Amino acid sequence: MTPFSLPRPALAELENKARWLALLMLAIGLHVFEASLPSFGPWFKPGLANLVTLLALAMMGPRAAISLSIARIVVGSFFIGTLFTPTFIIAMAGGLSATVVMIAAWRWFPGLSLVGISLLGALAHMLAQFVSVETLFIQQSALYYALPPLLILSCISGWINGALAEYISGRLAHEET
Amino acid sequence: MPSLACHSLPRQTMLDALKGRWADRLLLLIILLSIASSWFIIQANIAAGPAMAEIYHDDTLLATYPLPQPGEPSITLQLEGELGLSDIVIDEHGARIASSPCTSQRCVLSGSHKHAGDIIACVPNKILITLRGSSETRFDAIVE
Repeated sequence: MTPFSLPRPALAELENKARWLALLMLAIGLHVFEASLPSFGPWFKPGLANLVTLLALAMMGPRAAISLSIARIVVGSFFIGTLFTPTFIIAMAGGLSATVVMIAAWRWFPGLSLVGISLLGALAHMLAQFVSVETLFIQQSALYYALPPLLILSCISGWINGALAEYISGRLAHEET
Repeated sequence: MPSLACHSLPRQTMLDALKGRWADRLLLLIILLSIASSWFIIQANIAAGPAMAEIYHDDTLLATYPLPQPGEPSITLQLEGELGLSDIVIDEHGARIASSPCTSQRCVLSGSHKHAGDIIACVPNKILITLRGSSETRFDAIVE
């Protein structure tokens, strides 16, 4: 008999936590990887880290997706050295609004696949970046002149990321059954 | 996992996933149409007139310069931002930030811009350069 024993959590709960942490590690890795990519322009990244948020949403639900994106941005920014700088604030605004929009689309538009959800998330990310820069740093509506071409890039990257998420989650579901 | 079953079918190829559902395609169409129309509206508003670079710090317009034609001397100026001095060069290739005290240097790396609607923003130093007008207009004016 042991002097004291902690109550053991259920196996399903542990599995869920392990899966969330695995996704978090993947998301942080992709966040750092994206930061080290040659720049596609100062406003644009392929959004691979957001792809993991979408996977978390599809596999584990809204709460896991929100907590994953916050944790990913905080820890990822810590690694690339932008924690609490303007870059961090912009990334947080973009990441959070993308996640919220994706959750809303996932919940209220059941006709959309992960492709459409990811598309909306990518657009929300780009818009939130601009709105946060305009309200917090450079109070100039002239900023928005640059938005339309970037939104088209967002459509492309959002569509491809959504298809990747659809493919990956489909494969994972297939392997587990 | 029940939530997976409603979103994806097993054994889906990457190509199937790339096609999306009809609802996805309809959404894409609506979004592309609205982006294109807003792009046209913006371009119609700012592409008129000679090519100019507008330089802002925070929320004040500091200066407006016409872009020099090939052969004309370039304009260099120094601006005091939140962090320190940024060097701005305006020449026949457009406007660019030549040096900046910020850590990311994204504004410097983004290079020269000359098309209407292009922006160069240094968020940490709160400096913004916007381009308006078209560089061809001045040629037309000379020919006429």
